[in-house]
Amino acid sequence: MASGKYNDPAKVQDAAPLEDEGPPDAELVLKSQQGDVHAFEALVERYHGKIYGLTYNMTSNREDAEDLTQEVFVKAFEALPRFKGNSSFYTWLYRIAVNKTINYRKKRNRKRALSLDQFDQDIKTDEVYHDLTTKGSPLRNMSLSELQIKLNEALQNLSEKHRTVVVMHDMQGIPHDEIAKVVGASVGTVRSRLFYARRQMQAELSEFMK
Amino acid sequence: MTGENDSMKMAGGERMAHRLRHLMHLKDYEKPDTARMTKNKHNIMRRVRTAKNNQRRSVAEWIEGNLPWFFAEPRYGIAVLFVVFAGLQYWGVSSQRQASGKMGIYTSGSEIAAYSPDASYATNRVAYPQVPDNFQLFPEQQGGSDVKFVGRRDVGK
Repeated sequence: MASGKYNDPAKVQDAAPLEDEGPPDAELVLKSQQGDVHAFEALVERYHGKIYGLTYNMTSNREDAEDLTQEVFVKAFEALPRFKGNSSFYTWLYRIAVNKTINYRKKRNRKRALSLDQFDQDIKTDEVYHDLTTKGSPLRNMSLSELQIKLNEALQNLSEKHRTVVVMHDMQGIPHDEIAKVVGASVGTVRSRLFYARRQMQAELSEFMK
Repeated sequence: MTGENDSMKMAGGERMAHRLRHLMHLKDYEKPDTARMTKNKHNIMRRVRTAKNNQRRSVAEWIEGNLPWFFAEPRYGIAVLFVVFAGLQYWGVSSQRQASGKMGIYTSGSEIAAYSPDASYATNRVAYPQVPDNFQLFPEQQGGSDVKFVGRRDVGK
């Protein structure tokens, strides 16, 4: 692997949100570029959950999400020698993930059946869930799995670009400007896509909006 | 009145947005199986190690690694390519000229005639050894032979 491509940590524009523990991304990326597999393993450990979350919510299929997560990290490792550090590693990795996922779905050319992760039992103690299931709410007479299916179907009915911004912003809490860098659009476009995506989601989930 | 309607609409829109945020928040509770995630990470690292072992650097990567100025300053890269191209052209032309000067097939008949016979030695002639006149090539038949000459028979008369 080529070395020294990422030897200017000052070029790292923004800190990834998961750098609180352990060495910074720039250091791990530099070591990975020098052929240190353990450094890359640390990056995998750091971002695996986020990338899985993105691919899972983009596909609503856990098998596809697992495959895609693998593909994303392997692709990132192979492309790492060409990573110059013009954006943060985190943004770069997300860009790979989004592109891979969109291409994957295009190749499939049809909707896959939902294959969903289980709800954590802690949901029942969540205040929001409690409010939604109180007397008079349409959720009261609905099982958790039914709710889960409705939510995921509504998400999957969005177009790729709209789903991407909804997943990144509303589920993963990524700010607009970061999303704009990932998807290669302006911040205004990201906001606009988010607006239309939410409106469509509201229409899809109208039975819960009363 | 219109202002009141607008504010009601706004309030309705905000309420729906709020409700949607709550619904989406519930998706945070979808948790992947820990064992599957661990296995997935192991698979990733196994594939990464395989990729590292199989990694062959392309010419472009080699140039990028060892001659970064080639890409950093494209005009230098182009200049080098031009010099290499010109060098190859020159080398190609001069070797062709050298070849046409030395090969016999380009020599005219009068030039061949001008060569002295000593110079034109036939290399495909077999050099047999000089044998003396009285040298017996086959051994003489000793008395034990079954074939004897008994006379000539005229055929066709």
